[in-house]
Order: sequence, then structure tokens, then C-alpha cells
Amino acid sequence: MIRCENLHVTFNHGLPTEKLALQGIDLTIPSGEFVTVIGSNGAGKSTLLNTIAGDIKTTRGEIFFGDRNVTKLPATGRTKDIARVFQDPLAGTCGNLTVEENMSLAYGRGKRGTLSFALNSKLRVVFKEQLSRLNLGLEDRLESEMGLLSGGQRQSVSLLMSALQPSSILLLDEHTAALDPKTAALIMDISSQIIAEKKLTVMMVTHSMRQALDHGSRTVMLHEGKVIFDLVGKERADYEVKDLLNLFAKAKGDGEELDDDKLLLGS
Amino acid sequence: MSLFAFLGTLEIGFIYGLVAIGVYLTFRILDFPDLTVDGSFTLGAAVTATLIVAGQNVYFATLCGTLAGACAGLVTAWLNLRFNILHLLASILTMTALYTINLRVMGKPNVALIMEPTVLTPFEGLGLPDMYMKVIFVAVCAIVGALLVAWFLNTEYGLAMRAVGSNKRMAQANGIVVTEKVYVGLALSNGLVGFAGALFAQTNGFADSTMGIGTIVVGLAAVIIGQSLFASRSMWVIAISCIVGSILYRIAVSLALNADFLGFKASDLNLITAVLVALALIFPKLRSEWKAKRAVENNR
Repeated sequence: MIRCENLHVTFNHGLPTEKLALQGIDLTIPSGEFVTVIGSNGAGKSTLLNTIAGDIKTTRGEIFFGDRNVTKLPATGRTKDIARVFQDPLAGTCGNLTVEENMSLAYGRGKRGTLSFALNSKLRVVFKEQLSRLNLGLEDRLESEMGLLSGGQRQSVSLLMSALQPSSILLLDEHTAALDPKTAALIMDISSQIIAEKKLTVMMVTHSMRQALDHGSRTVMLHEGKVIFDLVGKERADYEVKDLLNLFAKAKGDGEELDDDKLLLGS
Repeated sequence: MSLFAFLGTLEIGFIYGLVAIGVYLTFRILDFPDLTVDGSFTLGAAVTATLIVAGQNVYFATLCGTLAGACAGLVTAWLNLRFNILHLLASILTMTALYTINLRVMGKPNVALIMEPTVLTPFEGLGLPDMYMKVIFVAVCAIVGALLVAWFLNTEYGLAMRAVGSNKRMAQANGIVVTEKVYVGLALSNGLVGFAGALFAQTNGFADSTMGIGTIVVGLAAVIIGQSLFASRSMWVIAISCIVGSILYRIAVSLALNADFLGFKASDLNLITAVLVALALIFPKLRSEWKAKRAVENNR
């Protein structure tokens, strides 16, 4: 379970460029829930994810995983509970290490690296088996350098890596945004499989309204660092992309035009 | 080249092979260009020579020289990590400070080790001429050092260090503490270089405040020569290739200095070094350009 209480994050505090990125987020996500997070650029979606992951320090407010207060815990200390996949396919893997070396790193996530060999035949069997789930033929390329793989392949491996080590929370930050539609669909399929299989608590940031409604069981929209609406259950099931857009315009209250084409065009 | 000169070249080549492995750790593994080695090589030599002259045990003295080198690396890492000083600049600051520290450690510009015991003493008089024995001793040190580093880089901890140099964000997202890996890497690198300095002082019989000048260039040359000859991803091959690169570099330098028709003097060493390193850097680039050109012509 993730619980955010009155979360505030301010960048460049006290400077002319001061930015109130998060302005009092109260959000409780029960274990096993899959939440999609939407909002226009600068709404604070990525900031929220990065704050939960520990990359960004909170200015005010607290974060709990279950009963544990993790507000003061640095990012590396939270990796036992959190797995992440980034938007940039190059960000989640090391380009000049091999596929198996990258997987070995993910296999040791949240543990202290020991002085035993990072790779052995037993691990290779596990990695091969996992890679074969992707049907991309990567199970025969364990020793290929990660940098030689395509963006889609790298993102697929990142996704598998996030599930190699048991964790309770998965943070997906627009993880299909940089991919072509076909690869994006494949990645989304694998994500759903892994999430269902491991019963993960998930937060997925997306720019696509369609994706936000089709996946998960709850949709949260952020605007100017606040949660402006929170859709669940039957109400959400009846929603269409169109309704979501209307709701968005209404919540903003000023009839301002949507400036983000992606919100409208997202398939 | 005479046999005597050749053995001398091998001996220096093996010692600087250790430097090359240290340079490989920082430049290639951690992506941290570290010029501290110019100072830590001398520091290792100075500390070891001073302790030996003061009557300390030679192994203890060598260990102290190695640890002193490691500490120099920690200072550079601290300046960079704690105060965000650019890595290159942080290492130049440490290197500059070390020049004075080395003079203070020795109390004079150089310390001679003639007639003093060294780590080589137990092996003298075993029937093998000294000049062979020295080469074998430093060869064993360098190869054992290379294998230990290769083993380390293949462990979970070592792999985490390689991840830090490759993609910090990914490393962090997988729970790797980046700063710790940089500290350990720089200490290890400069410790190896300090050890090389300690060996150099004992095999050559002196420590001198200027002996470290250009260490970084020599180390880098060895790494580049080694890597362009053995294109491998295996840490074992890479570690050994650093030593091979170092020896080849030394042979190239002594051939250049000994070729009468070139008319070089010993004082031309730095120019030869710079030209050799530049060539080693230019060659792989030219080779790939030629290959690309030929591929285009073949497709016509």
C-alpha cells in the first residue's frame, strides 16, 4: 500500500524561478490496485512518481509504504519495495553491459552486492526462461551488448528486469510513450501480465486517455500539483475518453483550451 | 636493443601495467577521468622508500605505500562527490597537493634505496641472475593484480560498479549506492598505482619527486593500445590486455629512442610519448573511417 499525506514539493524554493510542483497530494493506493495517472505537461505526474521513488525530497508531507514511514529514506533504500520502468528506453538499462549483466543487476535489486560471481549457469537458465516470454528471440542474445538492441527490445527487457526481484510497487512513467504503436501494445500486454501475476501495486503515468481508461482499476488526474479527480469502480467503467476531456475542462473551471495535443490524439 | 635493455623494458612495462589497470578502472569502468595517479604513483614510491630507509619491514613499507595511494584516491573522490567539484579538476587539485606532500614525506627531492633491503631481497642469490629475477617478480605481481581486478569486476559488487559508470540512474533505481562505488573504485585504482610506485622505487633503487609526471598519459596509452589489439568484453582479457599494452608501449618508446636514424635523445621522451598516444587514439578512428569508405565503394 502507498499512502501520500499532504505531499508538497517545491523546486528552486525562494528563487524567482520557484515552482510549486506538488501542492498537497493526498492519495491512498491499497495493495494490488493499478492506478493510471493523467494530466497535462507540468501537472506533476512525473514529480509525484519520482517523489514516491525517493529521487525527489518532499518539502512537506509524508509518504508511507504500508505502515512504514519512508519519507526520509533515500531512493536506494526504497528499491527493495519499488521497481521502476522509465519513459526513455535507454534509461532503464546499461548500454555497454550485456543483457545478462543487466538482468543480474536487476536480480540483485535492493540487496547488497557480494563478492560472489554476478553470473552463473543457474542464473542464465532463469534469465533465458524469462526472456523467452517476450517472443523476441532475446533468449539467444544473453551475451549481446544492451546498446545493440532496439528501443523496444530494451524497454521489454527493462520491464522483465523490474519483475525479476519480488517487489510490491511498480512505477511506470510513460513507459510506452517513446515506442511505435505495435511495440507499445506489446509492452503494455507484458506489463499487464506481470502485474496480474505478481499482484503488484501499480502507478502508471500516461499521456493517452485511452490507455488510462483501458488499464488498471482507477484513474487519477493531476493538475497544477493537485489531484483534481479520482475515478473508480462503476463510474469509471462508464467513462469514455470524451467524458474524461469534458471533466478535465470543467475541473479547470476556466474553460481554458487543452494545450496538449497528446491528450486528445492519444489512441 | 640489447638483452639487458629489453629486460629493463619488460620490467618497467609490467610495473606500468598495474598503473594501466588502475587507469582502466577510473577512465573506462567508472567514467571518471582521474589524474590523481601522477601524484599517487610518486606517493607510493615516496612512502615506501622513506619507511625502508627508516628501517621498517619492506612488506609493511610496500603496504603503506599502497594504502597511501588509495587515500589519495579517496581525497579526489571526496572533493568530487561531497562538493561537486568537476572530477577532472578535483583530481588535478589532489595531484598538485601531492607534489608538496611527496617532498614533505621524503624530506628532500629524492631518496636512494641502494644497499637497502627491498621486497626483492629474499629472491636474490637463488641462482637466477638479478635482471631475470626482477622481471619475473614484477610480472607475477602485475599478473596477479590483473587477475584479482578481473575477478572483482566479475563479482556482484564489481558489476554494480560497472553499472555506476554506465548509467547512474539505472544503478540507483536498482538500489546501488553510487557514491560508495566511486569511493571504492578510486581507492582501488590509486591503491594499485601506489603499489606500482612502491615496486618501481624498489626495483630501480630510488624515489624521486618528479617520477610521477606523465603517469596518466602512459597508463592511458597502455589501456588504449591493449584495447585496440584485443577487442573483447571479457574482464579477464581486458585486464591482461592492459599489461600487454603497457609492455608494447615501452618497447615502442625504447625502439624510438634507440633508432639512430631518428636522432632522438632521452630528453625527447615526452614528445615521443604524446605522439604515440595520439597515434593510438587516431588509429581506431581512421580504421573505422577506412572500413566505412570501402563499404560504400563496394556497394557502388
